[in-house]
Amino acid sequence: MITIQHAQVGYQTTLIDIAQLALPEGQLYALIGRNGSGKSTLLQSLIGQLPLRAGSISIGSFSLEELQKNAALRSTQVAYVASMFAGVEALTLRAYVSLGRVPHLGAFGRLQASDLEIVDEVLKALNLSDLAQKDTRKLSDGERQLASLARAIVQDTPLMVLDEPASFLDYFNRELLLDQLEQWVQQKPERTAVFSSHDIDLCLQKGIPMLVLHQHKLTLLDKPSKQEVMALL
Amino acid sequence: MKQRSIQLLLITGILLLLLSWVHLFVLQQEQGANSTLIFWEFQVPRLLSALLAGAGLSLSGLLMQNLFQNPMAGPYVLGINSGASLFISILILGAAPVFLNELSYVSAAMIGAFLAASFMFVVSKRVQNIQSLLVIGLMFASFTGAIEAVLQSFAAPEQVKQLFIWNMGSLQQMSAAQAPWMATLIVFGMATTLFLVKGLNAMVLGDAHALQLGVKVKQLKIAILFVTALLAGSITAYCGPIAFVGLAIPNLARALLKTQDHLLLILFSVLAGSCFLVAIDVLILLLDPWLSLPVNVLTAVIGAPYVAYLMLRQR
Repeated sequence: MITIQHAQVGYQTTLIDIAQLALPEGQLYALIGRNGSGKSTLLQSLIGQLPLRAGSISIGSFSLEELQKNAALRSTQVAYVASMFAGVEALTLRAYVSLGRVPHLGAFGRLQASDLEIVDEVLKALNLSDLAQKDTRKLSDGERQLASLARAIVQDTPLMVLDEPASFLDYFNRELLLDQLEQWVQQKPERTAVFSSHDIDLCLQKGIPMLVLHQHKLTLLDKPSKQEVMALL
Repeated sequence: MKQRSIQLLLITGILLLLLSWVHLFVLQQEQGANSTLIFWEFQVPRLLSALLAGAGLSLSGLLMQNLFQNPMAGPYVLGINSGASLFISILILGAAPVFLNELSYVSAAMIGAFLAASFMFVVSKRVQNIQSLLVIGLMFASFTGAIEAVLQSFAAPEQVKQLFIWNMGSLQQMSAAQAPWMATLIVFGMATTLFLVKGLNAMVLGDAHALQLGVKVKQLKIAILFVTALLAGSITAYCGPIAFVGLAIPNLARALLKTQDHLLLILFSVLAGSCFLVAIDVLILLLDPWLSLPVNVLTAVIGAPYVAYLMLRQR
């Protein structure tokens, strides 16, 4: 369960003001809002990268402040997929995805056979197996975006936060992304995923609960109709 | 992939053994004498200093490239040697002869290296691209060079000569008594690096990303600065400033191994760096009857074009 209380989110000024909101676990949430409404900023606060201006957020049994202070603890609770991954020279796709296992590795950072098994399984589910040995610089933007999703999946955390994870994906991979995320949240009871998106139609069609950002407020719509969403935007 | 890396490591290891043997052999031929005393007092220390300097410089280059998140970083181009060099000059020219011992040399070099590395690191946060950073490194080096020149004008001819020789970079200056000290420092630096592998691997994704993966980024960076200063500082103290090894070898490692697994990169850089400097020293020994070259001339002849090639390929 993610609980937000009297939270003020923003850099120099308060961009979003959330009085009270609870997100039960076992669900996938789509964060919807117009350009510049503060979706990325809210997500930055949710992963503990940007401190709240006021109020509190708790993720599972931890407060956001606890997680901010302890990077190692946070890495076992929250996985984050940035909107863009440019690739790194000499880093293969499989090696990149394997970095998601870092929070689970011992002092010397060696991957065990069980870690690689998890990685290969996820690569297969995302149709990335054939690209496993390819340099991340040489992948397409969409392939890199799927790779970032894979990296977050193998991190195996209760909360996954994704910033526009579908922006470079084609129609089929958008479907794949949502299917994989829905599967992921259902695999373990404590899991929750929040992703920002402009793909309102697809989210409506899949019946994904929506968090709508509008006029500095955040509203949770469980099974909205298109009119309801549009009225808020 | 992994198999290929292990094969490459094995080949480099065998090459290193071979080169070391050739080094000892050539040096013995040149000496003409076949005595145990010369072997331990002269031949072994010279081989050791080539091995250790090559290994340590490559490793410090690899660490700096990770710290600055830039393949063009290295202890020489970013002025780390210059920092060490400046502090050694201040020591040689400024301190009373009583204080001129092993410990003071090495500590002065390490402090200088650490300050220079920290300075460049702070500066790197403020510049946008590597070109600017390299130019600032160059400026820093010529600035410390100028201060050294000013200091030298106050010095006695003997001291100036001592500095001049040291500045040429040399693998022949380390004595048998010094060898264990240098070996201890370098091996300690290498061993520490092995504990940083997990963080180094995650750091290739950038600070924010590494932090998300649970890496204590700040502590890691401080550790890198310390180890770099330890390695580059102690080598500069014993062998003088040696150029290009630290920049070129880690790039070679990534190009050949095609990996960002820092355990493999560390092992390969250490082996290949040693190979490179031992080979350079063999060359120096072979050319010795006709011309006597300082290490820096040869590392520059080979290293500078390679680094230029890397820069061109980056575009």
